[in-house]
Amino acid sequence: MEQTVDAPKYAFPKSTLRRFRWIRRYGVLILMILPGVIYLLINNYLPMLGIIIAFKDVNYAKGILQSDWIGFKNFEFLFRTNDAYIITRNTILYNITFIVLHVIAAVTLAVLLNELKNRFLARFYQSVVLLPYLISAVIIGYLVFSLLSVETGIMNKKILPMLGLGEISWYTETKYWPYILTMVSVWKTAGHLCVIFLAAIVGIDKEYFEAATIDGASRWQQIRSITIPLITPVITIMTLLAIGRIFHSDFGLFYQVPLDSGPLLPVTNVIDTYVYRSLLTLGDIGMSSAAGVYQSVVGFLLVLISNYIVRKINSDNALF
Amino acid sequence: MERTNSRTQLVIHLFFVVVSAVCLLPFFLLVTSSITDESEIIRNGYTLFPKHISFAAYEYLLNDASAILRAYGNTFVATVIGTSVSLLIITMLAYPLSRRDFPWRKSLSFFVFFTMLFNGGLVPTYFVYTQVFDLKNTLLALIVPYLLLNGFYVLLARTFFANTIPMEIIESAYIDGAGEFRIFWRIILPLSLPILATVGLFQLINYWNDWFNSLIFITDRKLFNLQYLLNKILLDIQFLSTSDLGGNQAEMIAALPKEGVRMAMAVIGVVPILIAYPFFQRFFIQGLTVGAVKG
Amino acid sequence: MLKKMLMLFIAVALVLAGCGSSDKSASNAGSNSGSSVNTGSINTGSTDEAQEENDASNLPPYEIVIAFPTSSSQTSGIPEVEQAINEITKKKINATIKLMPYSYASYAQQLNLMFASNEKLDLFVSGVNGAYSSQVAQGSMIPLDDLLEKYGSGIKEAVYAPFIEAARMNGKLYGIPSNRDLAADRELLMRKDIVDKYHIDLSQVKTFEDFGQIFKVVKENEPDLIPLVLFTQISTPVDVIASMYFDILGDRMGVLEYGNSEMKVVNMYETEQYAQLLNTVRSWYEKGYVQKDAATTKDTGPVLVQAGRAFSYIKQSKPGSDTQASRQTGYEMVSLKLPPAYSTTNLITQFLWSIAKNSQDPERAMMFLNLMFTDTDIINLLAWGIEGRDYVKVSGNIIDYPEGVNATNVPYGLNQGWLFGNQFKSYVFKGDPEDIYQQTDQFNKEAVKSPALGFTFDSTPVKSEVASVTNVMNQYRLGLETGSLDPETLLPQYFSEMKKAGIDRIIEEKQRQLDEWVKTK
Repeated sequence: MEQTVDAPKYAFPKSTLRRFRWIRRYGVLILMILPGVIYLLINNYLPMLGIIIAFKDVNYAKGILQSDWIGFKNFEFLFRTNDAYIITRNTILYNITFIVLHVIAAVTLAVLLNELKNRFLARFYQSVVLLPYLISAVIIGYLVFSLLSVETGIMNKKILPMLGLGEISWYTETKYWPYILTMVSVWKTAGHLCVIFLAAIVGIDKEYFEAATIDGASRWQQIRSITIPLITPVITIMTLLAIGRIFHSDFGLFYQVPLDSGPLLPVTNVIDTYVYRSLLTLGDIGMSSAAGVYQSVVGFLLVLISNYIVRKINSDNALF
Repeated sequence: MERTNSRTQLVIHLFFVVVSAVCLLPFFLLVTSSITDESEIIRNGYTLFPKHISFAAYEYLLNDASAILRAYGNTFVATVIGTSVSLLIITMLAYPLSRRDFPWRKSLSFFVFFTMLFNGGLVPTYFVYTQVFDLKNTLLALIVPYLLLNGFYVLLARTFFANTIPMEIIESAYIDGAGEFRIFWRIILPLSLPILATVGLFQLINYWNDWFNSLIFITDRKLFNLQYLLNKILLDIQFLSTSDLGGNQAEMIAALPKEGVRMAMAVIGVVPILIAYPFFQRFFIQGLTVGAVKG
Repeated sequence: MLKKMLMLFIAVALVLAGCGSSDKSASNAGSNSGSSVNTGSINTGSTDEAQEENDASNLPPYEIVIAFPTSSSQTSGIPEVEQAINEITKKKINATIKLMPYSYASYAQQLNLMFASNEKLDLFVSGVNGAYSSQVAQGSMIPLDDLLEKYGSGIKEAVYAPFIEAARMNGKLYGIPSNRDLAADRELLMRKDIVDKYHIDLSQVKTFEDFGQIFKVVKENEPDLIPLVLFTQISTPVDVIASMYFDILGDRMGVLEYGNSEMKVVNMYETEQYAQLLNTVRSWYEKGYVQKDAATTKDTGPVLVQAGRAFSYIKQSKPGSDTQASRQTGYEMVSLKLPPAYSTTNLITQFLWSIAKNSQDPERAMMFLNLMFTDTDIINLLAWGIEGRDYVKVSGNIIDYPEGVNATNVPYGLNQGWLFGNQFKSYVFKGDPEDIYQQTDQFNKEAVKSPALGFTFDSTPVKSEVASVTNVMNQYRLGLETGSLDPETLLPQYFSEMKKAGIDRIIEEKQRQLDEWVKTK
């Protein structure tokens, strides 16, 4: 396990003889990766050329390639006001919260599902927790509205009076929304994510548990010292991947669920929604492209750093 | 294998009953609001127990049954083909990346990962799909863009292969004279049913819920997919009520289906996945135990 | 590892370089493919082609692709409509047409994609949702002056000249308005049964502030009815009424006050007038006259009235809007109008017909556009579909749905006659006043012309400021204008946020452009 990658000695074979051997050893594997690699080249890398749009004053009559270069002017709107601080803060804080809570909730669900003896019910629960993920964000927005509407909402009309509390104007009070959005996000994602961890748990070699049981370990001890450590690689990779997208957010959650309510913007505005709103009428593809580049570059740097740290701890868990 | 005692079982069940309620209630709300009388929704909001039940929304959908059936068909074809092909490509790419002895492992992983961070945006993607490859208004446009989506599933599958399949198995098979592809097909895949089911399920959901490709690449109404029909309405309502479009705005809004219809469409969009789900659950058992292979 | 990555990137770069060149050739191929026509370049439109104008047989066949937005799902009948139109156009201009309906929400994006990838597109509806000036600035369409001169005589006859001129930008025409309501006043639409029941005397209601008396009666006597709801989420009472006092000059960021002869651009949100409107609405909100969910609701005014939950809503108005409202709400509606009607650039550039820079035969596109304003058969086909299937004649020029057909199952149910060229020549749908189009025409012509009619602000020089200010407006505007936020504390905050976002730069730029426009007018 401690052995580091021995790749370099294969990478650039010194003699033709060795290259020949190398092809014979890995030729099939290379053929196997070809479809995926070609697909990514065409579907993902080729369009990356379009990043130039972020630095262009797009004029369709001239064509995109011939449009004038304008340096970083398209990026300006992202940093002009103190909105830049607010949207960046919101995006990062929400994402960090989500990354942590999603993993905790999903792992809990997965571990508990795996503990259940009644397989039929376990499967039933598993299907049910997936449901929220299947409902479109706009509809979730409707459903949340049916809870929180001032005039017809279940909260204001039924629950708050029952508790002897007065009406709350949910869609203008910023203080509730960090919690509401977090709850909705966990509600929506946990069941979906738990599938991954469940697959990881199911994949653990049962011999470990059998040995532990013979040694008299309790279930809880087994979970703590077998299950969790063995799914750590999966948790790590999921976290790393999420960090890469830390400047991106679930647009539907932040735009549709608060119903685009203006007074809530200080706590609901994230980079994606800010860009969307700014450019709705301007329709400037240069500016939206600039926002995408900014998000990607920051995510990239963060992931390089995190990956470096992970590699220091355990190189097998690192992304690359 | 020993599992927990029955009291702990009961507690876990109670926990899941609560969790299920939290997940199911909104869904029931969705279903009941699709059969609630339209004016009642607007007067009183959604309710689990409507006073006046009305199937008008579903009747409205039946009006255009042929369009909906066709959209179902398009979605179905794209989902089945897309999910199978993408499973194949994903696992074939992920497996070599999981092999610790594969020379380009780290840099190729990076190559895959990079696609998760950077994309050129919609315009160049559209250009590639419509001008370089003529996929506009073809079913392929509903399939190809999501085949790998981005590197996420590849890296996920890679991690699973690397962590659940001991290198010794591969080595011993190799020494026994099995070719790489045979090892992959006969040993790796059967050992990895849970992750195949996971990725398959996720891709199934991605394809089933996709409407964006339909929005961007399809203008021929014969090729629209199911979720597009719903999302088009939802987005139009949002757009029309937040845009300033002058004297004829009232007609534009009046042309859109009512709330009950939107709910009904959401319901008919979810149900097929719920039916397909148990099928995937069957694979959430350890394929062959690793021990058996080793032995 | 680093070396390997480098190798990979070189490989990728090579692919990209290949793409770069194929990029160009592909777009060149795009502009040549699909057409055997020697286009003749756009601006030089050679004279001999002009002479061929009426002689279809000399023109090579051509397919005109037409993109437009629609909210209707009833589009299955389009192929037959195309076919019927083609029969006419083949004879007249040896061309066929292809209608490309897009949903409103995705329309702007789709257009950008088509422009960027140089897809085949001839005629399209420009302007939707304030996009006209940026579409012009981004070079999406070609100037129409010469084409209009040569092939658009019917258009010039049909559309009132000041309205054609209103779409001019940087001295050139980039779009032509359809004949529809090109001016607007504003109205309070109320349920007539309630007005009658409480003997509300509408003649006593003269101003916006007076509306409060009506709402008071409703609030006191009909506890289940919300006195005032929004027409749509964005058309707040304050915004609609503000059009009595200001020309919003495109985007509300710097407006022109009517009656101010200096042509001075001011910040509407800092005016006394605006503050007063806010206070009125706020007091209504506090008294419970205004829908509490106003700033977030997804239900529109007509829907709320239809469901028996609301009494009235305020909206921009045009002739026949009360019968239209009655039809939509299922209640007889009575309208209380606040004159005068103004005609502004915004109303005209909201929907324009433009010729895309992608067009391979702009002449033919213009010829067809001309037919959309002159040929009654084409006008009615585009507006109402096919006779017998989509509509039947009732009497004279009144039409209705055929037996068993209604708004939800008519095969061609776009219902956008106002968009397709010259609505004034089309049939009148049953229920509307028979002279609705004459009324509209007269309404347009009699409306007060804003002193800035014809001025379109080009926001390109200040677009990052516009983006920032847009976000500030999103945060405050709806809340303030529906009364759900308190103007006392939040209006000052709104100004200062706007200032920080750069509203002054925008106003300055707008003033500069306006001064220039006045000079060259």
